[in-house]
Amino acid sequence: MATPVIMPKLEMAQETATVVEWLKREGEYVEKGEPLLVVETEKITVEIEAPASGILAGVRVGPGDVVPVTQIIAYILEPGEELPDEARTGVAPVSVPARPSVSPLPEIPPSPSVPPLRAPAATPVARRLAETYGIDLGTVVGTGPGGQITRSDVEAVRARSREPMVAPPSPEPEKVRATPAARRIAREQGVDLTTLRGTGPRGRIQAADVLQAIQMAPPAAAPEVIPLTGMRRTIAERMTASYQAVPHIMFTVSVDVGALEEMRARLNRMAEAEGGPHISLTALLVKAVAWTLRRHPWLNSTLRGEEIHLLPEINIGVAVALDTGLIVPVVHQADRKGLAEIAAAVNDRVRRAREGRLTPTDVAGGTFTISNLGPFGIEQFTAIINPPQVAILAVGAATRQPVADDTGGVRVRPIMKMTLSVDHRVVDGAQAALFLKDLKTALEFPYFLLC
Amino acid sequence: MRELSYAEAIREALRQEMQRDERVFIIGEDVGVYGGAFGVTLGLVEEFGEERVIDTPISELGVVGAMTGAALVGMRPVGEIMFMDFITLASEQLVNQAAKIHFMFGGKEKVPFVLRTPAGSGTGAAAQHSQSLENWFVHIPGLKVVMPSTPYDAKGLLIASIRDDNPVVFVEHKLLYKVRGPVPEEPYTIPLGTADVKREGRDLTVIATSIMVQRALQAATLLAEEGIEAEVIDPRTLKPLDKETIIRSVIKTGRVLIVHEACKTGGFGGELAAVIVESEAFDYLDAPVIRLAGRDIPIPYNRTLEYHTVPQVEDIVEAARRLAQGRV
Repeated sequence: MATPVIMPKLEMAQETATVVEWLKREGEYVEKGEPLLVVETEKITVEIEAPASGILAGVRVGPGDVVPVTQIIAYILEPGEELPDEARTGVAPVSVPARPSVSPLPEIPPSPSVPPLRAPAATPVARRLAETYGIDLGTVVGTGPGGQITRSDVEAVRARSREPMVAPPSPEPEKVRATPAARRIAREQGVDLTTLRGTGPRGRIQAADVLQAIQMAPPAAAPEVIPLTGMRRTIAERMTASYQAVPHIMFTVSVDVGALEEMRARLNRMAEAEGGPHISLTALLVKAVAWTLRRHPWLNSTLRGEEIHLLPEINIGVAVALDTGLIVPVVHQADRKGLAEIAAAVNDRVRRAREGRLTPTDVAGGTFTISNLGPFGIEQFTAIINPPQVAILAVGAATRQPVADDTGGVRVRPIMKMTLSVDHRVVDGAQAALFLKDLKTALEFPYFLLC
Repeated sequence: MRELSYAEAIREALRQEMQRDERVFIIGEDVGVYGGAFGVTLGLVEEFGEERVIDTPISELGVVGAMTGAALVGMRPVGEIMFMDFITLASEQLVNQAAKIHFMFGGKEKVPFVLRTPAGSGTGAAAQHSQSLENWFVHIPGLKVVMPSTPYDAKGLLIASIRDDNPVVFVEHKLLYKVRGPVPEEPYTIPLGTADVKREGRDLTVIATSIMVQRALQAATLLAEEGIEAEVIDPRTLKPLDKETIIRSVIKTGRVLIVHEACKTGGFGGELAAVIVESEAFDYLDAPVIRLAGRDIPIPYNRTLEYHTVPQVEDIVEAARRLAQGRV
């Protein structure tokens, strides 16, 4: 039976061994225990003994070959015995084309007389280095025994390949020397470390350097943060929705409020005498707007899907500024109320709004809104419609202005500007203009309000 | 509270545990009639008899082998190695047997013993009687390593070690034996794996072990006169190590000085430094972690050389000052 000759594992960490020379020739008779070949590891050179007595055959490696341990490198045959099949197909010492059974094995020459066509023989360390550096061993000229590639050969190729790179490296951005604590504080406070000078050893930036820089820098005014909650959130959401969804058109008109103010003064003198409610300009505006809306129902409407609903009630909202926002109490059915009643309602709602004592009913059901910033000195402004309403009136302060009269003379009159915003989906410009015209008339000739 | 010396505190712990638990016995060279090389076990053989305070032949391997066997059959031996240097002779039983049996028997067996041993220099005992080898045993899974720095800690930690089910190397210091401090009379335990903040401070953290805790506290007093407030932390047990207390302190101060007597190279300071820089404390470090440790030489016999071989109070003051002032 053919006995395989195996490349032995001689050391704990050994992976390959190099064949130095065969001490017996192919076809020669060997005795078990006789030295067969010499192999070399990274540490030692050692003779390998014949594992059996017989004819040496099927030799598949030659001097200089690096062979993985435990590989079969030859067979010992009994007299008359043939090589086993795997040896026949794997290697043919005489005439069968060479084909190593294991890839790292060097190819076997087709004929002993032809010089071996082998992968370059290299020491294990040279092989590993070449792999590390990405060097093709075929490009390395070996200077070791039998042309073996050694570590120094690989290092030489490596050195040559790196020569062009010996040129001075491109200047790297200067590294900042800073302690971890300094880096952390700089990171947290948004300080650029490259702008600092370190006071530590060798210019190292320490925490104290960063802290000092922060103190010297103008204090970043931290905004006061107020969460968007409650009324603020409601206003934000409703105004955004309105301004995005409703196409606003705006119209401004100037009103001579001389007669209105005169009437208001008289009424209030009477109210004082009789104990009636004080009549504010807002109350008069509510009365006049209600009166005008009665004549322009499209401005007292709402858009629901595909339908415009002309609303049966005229409920006028009055915007009241609060410290925390804005609220719009409603004077319900203002067109059916007398001025004193309206005045009492407005006074009551405004007072309770400022006291935070409005009920849900007080703010529900508005069909039109008046926002009067006259008391704040604003002469003219525009307002955003308060859905589902379709119009809002922004009222400015009455200021004394020179006015040309019909006779060509100039008189100084109290003029108040009002700006109407309407939802153009429902109300057109001409409608809005007619509404303002009538409202202007009612305010300039307030006895129309009796009609 | 009454005061005891470190040696007396250890003796009291031994006495109280022997009174409480008849499985506890003492074994070692000259621990009986002679009372131990440093007198720690003085009088115990008279009180408990030769059955429970066993003088052995001069064989450290024999002592620890006997302890391992006794512990395996249910006893709780407390052995003494006369000088820590001689623990080399016992390391086969200690490292390859006692430390591993619990694990190699799948947790079915345990080896509850305490191996007491004095370490350290300062007595003119030269290179073979002055070493601090604690970090060898820190490196061995299965062993616990305890290093008390005060009489109070010595008593509480020794009782906790005797009641622990694992082999414990209990490292005492020759120069600490006469140090006195308050010690409660009743038995008490200090859980293994709890560090102690011996002094609070804001400017730097000094982590010290054994005799170096005493020196660090003296240094801290001197530093305070200069306005430098050092926090002194005593891990008390090197293994298990109370990392949390250390990390918390480093986050507070940002500066670390590690002080131990054992040689710097391969010493416990390297482990402490690594624990710190691996932790969340890294981002709070405002200076390199500094180790002040024994020089990498055998302890010299010459008293002057011996003195300068290991950290002294003035060395700690100087290193801490430089660190606190941002000069390192």
